[in-house]
Amino acid sequence: MVNLAEKIMVYALSTCPYCKRTKRFLDEHKVPYSHKDVDTLPDDEQDKVLEEIEKLTGKRAFPVVIIGTETIVGHDEARLKKALRL
Amino acid sequence: MSDAKPDRVYCPVCLAKFRFAEGWKEGSVVICPICGQRLVLRKSADGWVGDRVDKGTEKEIRDRIEEFAKLRGYVFNEVKEDIVEGLVGKQKRFGDFYCPCRMEHVPEYQCPCKPTRGGDVERTGKCHCGLFWKK
Repeated sequence: MVNLAEKIMVYALSTCPYCKRTKRFLDEHKVPYSHKDVDTLPDDEQDKVLEEIEKLTGKRAFPVVIIGTETIVGHDEARLKKALRL
Repeated sequence: MSDAKPDRVYCPVCLAKFRFAEGWKEGSVVICPICGQRLVLRKSADGWVGDRVDKGTEKEIRDRIEEFAKLRGYVFNEVKEDIVEGLVGKQKRFGDFYCPCRMEHVPEYQCPCKPTRGGDVERTGKCHCGLFWKK
């Protein structure tokens, strides 16, 4: 597993089933992470976060998981396992 | 023979009009052939309008997606229940059954979303969020 201090961030939508699966996957593997449900953020913060996501991924698709320097778009257990060395 | 244009019915879900069929009358319950919504026919000053049956309820969205899948010959998979939960969540938080995998809460992303109504499933094998799948 990666160093726990390494920052893992999940950008999600509160209603998106794939975002829930990604969070569930991280929880099941006891991976600590921060997360933001972008659709429930106040407008100002939402604009900032969306801008950041678009800069990182080139689109508005969810979930977005940031592990160190790697960015994973969509629920992709194989990539998560590889990135987290699980 | 009359050359009058056939009546059309306005669907408030897909914001489009479809042909009024023989035998329909005020109060008839019909299925929108574009989005699968169940509608009660009403004559308004602007012509025929369909009022949404069970508007805003889980039953409404379940009936709609079932009818749409039946109309197009699409199938569901194991993600269906998670997506229905997401659609119900959108309705509660944002006022209608918008695609649970999109940020935008606009009529064109009312489920089934406009790209899906326009044939995305035929082209890519599934809709954006993976609710409808090509057989």
